[in-house]
Amino acid sequence: MNLAQPGRQLLREPLVHFLIAGAAVFWLLSGRAPDLGERRIVVNEQVVSGLVQRWTDTFRRPPSQDEIDGLIRDYVQDQVYYREALSLGLDQEDEVVVRRMRRKMESLAVAEAESAEPGDAVLQAMIDKDPARYSDDARTSFDQIYLGADNPANRAAADAALTRLRKGEQVAGVAAPLPSHQDEASDEAIAGTYGDEFVLALRRTPPGQWAGPVASGLGLHLVRIAARTAPTKPSLDKVRQRVTNDWRAAAIARARDESYRRILEGYDVVIVRPK
Amino acid sequence: MRKAMLTAALLMTTTALVSGCDGPRGGFGGKSGVKDTAYPEQVFWGDTHLHTGNSVDAFGFGARLTPEDALRFARGEEVKSSTGLAAKLERPLDFLVIADHAEGIGATKALYDAPRMLISDPTLLRWHDLMHEGPAGSLKATGEILQARGQNKLPPGLNDPVKGAERTRKIWDENIDTVERYNEPGKFTAFIGFEYTLMQGGNNLHRNVIFRDGKDKASKVVPLDPSSAAWPEHLWDYMEAYEKSTGGKVLAIPHNSNVSNGLMFMLTEPNGGPISAAYARRRAAREPVVEITQIKGDSEAHPFMSPNDEFAGYGTVGWDTNNLIFNQPTKQSELPGSYVREALKRGLLIEQRTGVNPYKVGVIGSSDSHTGLATVDENNFFGKHSGVEPSPQRATAGFVPGMNSGRMNWQALASGYAAVWATSNSREAIFDAMMRREVYATTGPRMTVRVFGGWDFKADDLKGDWVKAGYARGVPMGGSLKPGGAGAPSFILSALKDPVGANLDRVQVVKGWVDKAGVSHEQVFDVVWSDMDKRKAAGGKVPSVGDTVDTTRATYENSIGAPSLATVWTDPAFDPKVRAFYYVRVLEIPTPTWLNYDMVKYKLKFGPEIPLKQQERAYTSAIWYTPT
Repeated sequence: MNLAQPGRQLLREPLVHFLIAGAAVFWLLSGRAPDLGERRIVVNEQVVSGLVQRWTDTFRRPPSQDEIDGLIRDYVQDQVYYREALSLGLDQEDEVVVRRMRRKMESLAVAEAESAEPGDAVLQAMIDKDPARYSDDARTSFDQIYLGADNPANRAAADAALTRLRKGEQVAGVAAPLPSHQDEASDEAIAGTYGDEFVLALRRTPPGQWAGPVASGLGLHLVRIAARTAPTKPSLDKVRQRVTNDWRAAAIARARDESYRRILEGYDVVIVRPK
Repeated sequence: MRKAMLTAALLMTTTALVSGCDGPRGGFGGKSGVKDTAYPEQVFWGDTHLHTGNSVDAFGFGARLTPEDALRFARGEEVKSSTGLAAKLERPLDFLVIADHAEGIGATKALYDAPRMLISDPTLLRWHDLMHEGPAGSLKATGEILQARGQNKLPPGLNDPVKGAERTRKIWDENIDTVERYNEPGKFTAFIGFEYTLMQGGNNLHRNVIFRDGKDKASKVVPLDPSSAAWPEHLWDYMEAYEKSTGGKVLAIPHNSNVSNGLMFMLTEPNGGPISAAYARRRAAREPVVEITQIKGDSEAHPFMSPNDEFAGYGTVGWDTNNLIFNQPTKQSELPGSYVREALKRGLLIEQRTGVNPYKVGVIGSSDSHTGLATVDENNFFGKHSGVEPSPQRATAGFVPGMNSGRMNWQALASGYAAVWATSNSREAIFDAMMRREVYATTGPRMTVRVFGGWDFKADDLKGDWVKAGYARGVPMGGSLKPGGAGAPSFILSALKDPVGANLDRVQVVKGWVDKAGVSHEQVFDVVWSDMDKRKAAGGKVPSVGDTVDTTRATYENSIGAPSLATVWTDPAFDPKVRAFYYVRVLEIPTPTWLNYDMVKYKLKFGPEIPLKQQERAYTSAIWYTPT
């Protein structure tokens, strides 16, 4: 066993980096030379080429030497003021800075969730938790005769019409843009056309023979259910994209909330409202 | 979610009835694996015009919702609005087109995000700072950006071509990926699209562009920036090039003709000469459908051109005095070029002269909402933009609060949706239905409306399978009647109330025609209405249906009107030598406006100028008759 291994691993630990850096900062701040970090402004090659690039993007030509000098002077001035302003706490009063920092923190919080790919086990667990959400709709094949508004006269007529239908006679309903027969219509489609209560009423109707009157958002109907299929149990392969969408939307929301809650735990918030 | 509730209940109960499983449906993206019906059996509801935080102005107005939020909301999920309110549709939509503005796509967001020290232009810097001040400043900045754009005075930095192109490509690719993830043929259709926000001195020439295709083709292009164009040929060039290079299909939907100051439906070409057959053919091929109603007003008809139509002028108040950005007053002579009924008439005139009708357009409604939320229900209206999401102040605020936009927010309509008679809920089927104009508009309620035109329809047809007969012996809405039959054309007309909405007052046919002297005419026929035995027509007018609205509670009763209306109607004044169109308008009984709901919810007092009730309506695409 190599005894040096744990030491090397330790050196790779971010926490150790953090502690070392923290100790250095502490030493800098508490020591006799606090200006080495905050009071030293280095304009290196990288900074200058960045300045030149931005200028070129804006004006569509490279800057002259004088202009570069001007950019550097400006940059230094920006840095000096920025650092002084921070040390004076001016950022805390500035709504622009506050909002911008908040947005940066929020983006950091959700970046991971945005690019993460959930494994099959995670997705399957989501389906198992709420199978109804992912199941293929229940489907109903049925005949339907529309009798117009739900009122006593039409209800009475419905009973008579039902008797005739059961005897095998023809009944003409009220003309409306409704199909007289639908094959394997999904609950969602039926609810869209007739309203929710009709879907529930169809469910209570025994299949195989004419029944009714059944009320919908449109009025009264006589119905004959030919066949009904229960919602199919969702297989991950069939609904993968939908579950993944849900997972991602939830993960992003959760990451944002959790990150805020974690940070908030370190704060003591006192609110005093004006009387 | 309602579906979950219904399904959960079923999972627990009726397993005894299982009679087999349904075959494979769904499958995401790419080619849809759904079964198409032989003819359209179902109407699909959607919004072809929705903006998210990716639109220059929407972001500025405070919208922070993403395309993903918008799609989830349209599918029926609850989302949190930009102002922090819980938002959910009572019923999900079947399809959605996210139509963010192409020009400066994401530009406002980029300006907002830009490090302040990198902004050199003083105007851009001012907007940047305003946006960071908070919602009020953001609204003000956006108002100024829109004004500047309308006057072609945008600082070049905002539409920086190189940066802008990179940004557009990035946002477009992200947008396409999101749309692909939510397109679920058979259940929910998510279209790839954008808005081509063409303006001329503040006159509205906007179009929504919708692709039939998926990522493989649509990602070969980026949205077209209209900033350098004056007329829509620029867009048609782009569309033709796209179809040629990819083998895909794309269509464009003009909207808000009501604030175009007569430029949307001109009698002349951009060069000033009369419209030629070639120009007419090109426009007709590219723009089969127009958006007739939306939050920024209704463009069906105006009382100035239609003085005898007592129901003309719905949603025109405030929108008919000036162009879009309110910098040019509208002259009366410009009104005809701004309304759809007049465009249909002009189309006949131009066809009479050139043989081609450039304005043979179907109609849809859509929201143009800039909140990421496709809400047009009166009792669940989230407003035009995030600055006017529900609040006690919004009704009496300016249309763009904090600046003089010339219009008040109470002039906004909670309108509308697109209804499509398609053979399946898929990109292909819905797109193809738009191409053949088998579509209609409503101001929000989901009324079902069917129309067939033919030469031998009789009242008895309504007793049988008239839909099948309609397709077999006639043409549906959007179609063309060719001479051939004897006598006058007859129409099967049938309308059904929204299952969770108000009863119907009446069904009307609007006929337009051009006489031999080349003068256009119109006539509105009441063809079937509720309680016809009691409401006898007198002097050519049907008595009012009545009014059950209680404005103190924002309620109405379905004790008047009828849940369904149907008839077979024959044109009483048909001349086989005269070209004509026929479209259908369906009126609901009076119901409360979104303003009435706000008034009750927030306990407000309004002045008499604010409308508390209205008759919502559906407009169908026309059926055209062309003599040989």
